[in-house]
Amino acid sequence: MAGKDEIRNFVQDLLTRQDDRRPLGDSDSLLMSGRLQSIDAVEIVLFLEERFGIDFAELGFDREQLDSIDAIFALTQTAATRG
Amino acid sequence: MLTQTESARPQTGRFAEFRLIPRIDTWPEAIALVQTPPGKLLLLTLFGAVLRFLIQPGYALLLACAFAFISFLPEYRRPVLAAGPLLVAAVTWIHNLLMLGETYGVIGLGIALYACVQRWPKSRFGRRPLIFLLSGFSLLIVAACATRPHSRPAMILWPLVGAMASYVWFIAYAVTDKSSVASRDLSLQIATFRPIWGTTNTPFPKGAAYLRRIEAKTPEQLAVVQLKGLKLLVWALLLALVQICWYRFFHGYMRIPLPENALAMSVRGTPVPWHMRWACQILAYFELILRFSIFGHTFIGCCRMAGFNALRNTYRPLSATTLIDFFNRFYYYFKELLVDFFYFPTFLRYFKKHRRVRTVFATSVTILFGDAFYHITRDWHFFRDRGLWGGIASYQVEFVYCIALTIGLSISQLRRRGPRHSGFIRGRLLPICGVGLFYVLVSVFETDTRTFTLAQTVRYFASLFFIHL
Repeated sequence: MAGKDEIRNFVQDLLTRQDDRRPLGDSDSLLMSGRLQSIDAVEIVLFLEERFGIDFAELGFDREQLDSIDAIFALTQTAATRG
Repeated sequence: MLTQTESARPQTGRFAEFRLIPRIDTWPEAIALVQTPPGKLLLLTLFGAVLRFLIQPGYALLLACAFAFISFLPEYRRPVLAAGPLLVAAVTWIHNLLMLGETYGVIGLGIALYACVQRWPKSRFGRRPLIFLLSGFSLLIVAACATRPHSRPAMILWPLVGAMASYVWFIAYAVTDKSSVASRDLSLQIATFRPIWGTTNTPFPKGAAYLRRIEAKTPEQLAVVQLKGLKLLVWALLLALVQICWYRFFHGYMRIPLPENALAMSVRGTPVPWHMRWACQILAYFELILRFSIFGHTFIGCCRMAGFNALRNTYRPLSATTLIDFFNRFYYYFKELLVDFFYFPTFLRYFKKHRRVRTVFATSVTILFGDAFYHITRDWHFFRDRGLWGGIASYQVEFVYCIALTIGLSISQLRRRGPRHSGFIRGRLLPICGVGLFYVLVSVFETDTRTFTLAQTVRYFASLFFIHL
């Protein structure tokens, strides 16, 4: 679950930059709840492209896939399966 | 059920817990009461009483009836909401059968396109529905421009352009809803085609994909979200009262002109004094925020009353310390539209190896094409009145606004990755004033009336700095 820890740390860092220090669960909504903005979704995309080699142009993009730590982790797993 | 209203910033101090409108959505007694029939009636009565002051009384009554139905029979929420837009279209165009027919035709087209994407997701249309939709709409405008004024084709095509302009972004959300299941979600899709809680040409709040995520699932969630809706509506009413006093004081008692009047007087050669020009531009900044807050809170308050815990459209815009943050806080759902349909599709495809170029290019496409396309098509009547090239040329002043915005937003995004200043003055006050000043200046070029030429507007802008061209 090293990948999930890395994702959690990255998201936590994004929240901290906005002075959001509330507890964060793995299934908590990030974008739909307004805790993160669309500009933060861009940061998550860049992180996933660089760290996990995900190509969203090929995989297809849906912001719901970035809405929680669980969803992001599931996305990395799907991308890894597709190879 | 977290929303923007729960501040991310830890609050301290004596007044941290003070709220002008009490947080009734967190009171267990209120939540329990609103789940009982008398409590529901009380909530509906209060909501209707406030709504009556914000929208037309007849429409307020219609909404109150719909919300009563949803409150007492929440299992029928989606069918009631789906019937709403069809009923409203019928009432609106009852005396114009051509417009009514074309409006229903456009809604039917939206449903058909949604069904096509569902049925053939791997087809060319299924993979790029937005390109087909927007290209088709553009061709419709070109075709309408090619007709002779007052001819039979013109009488048919221009109302169709008007109907399509009203629905195009709602259809766009439907055809790009990848996680939708037609057999389950069709009624919700229809409900989003100009939903009954109110909307501009920008879908409030986005499409069915978003509504599915924020729909109240239990009686307790419904009670909480409806109480949030009531709070927001009361806030809209308070702002509407502030707006009345504001206009009476500044434009009545102080006789400060509206920006379009100040510009018109400059064009006529009788400009108002320099300080008045600045005053009206600064006031216009606050007036725009007030206006957007009032209609946004009204729409979202009603949306919450229908059982959807949508984020506010305008949320503390005056606390934004960057331009990108300001547009997120000022007109959230328009920003979301641009990001969903223009920014991300561009950002994910082009210049992937050059981060800065990628950001600037995606921002340029979003504003120079996306924002421009939205406003050009929203104001389709300029094409009808001035012809194809005249309609495009009428956009020249606002195009300068788009260029300035593109530069500002690009820099804002690139600087966001750098270190931030700390302290109240350098960390908050100066950035907030900088955002406000930028918007005050660029808003000179943001005009809906398109009465003045670019040269006249530039001359007026320069005169703010004692430069007389």
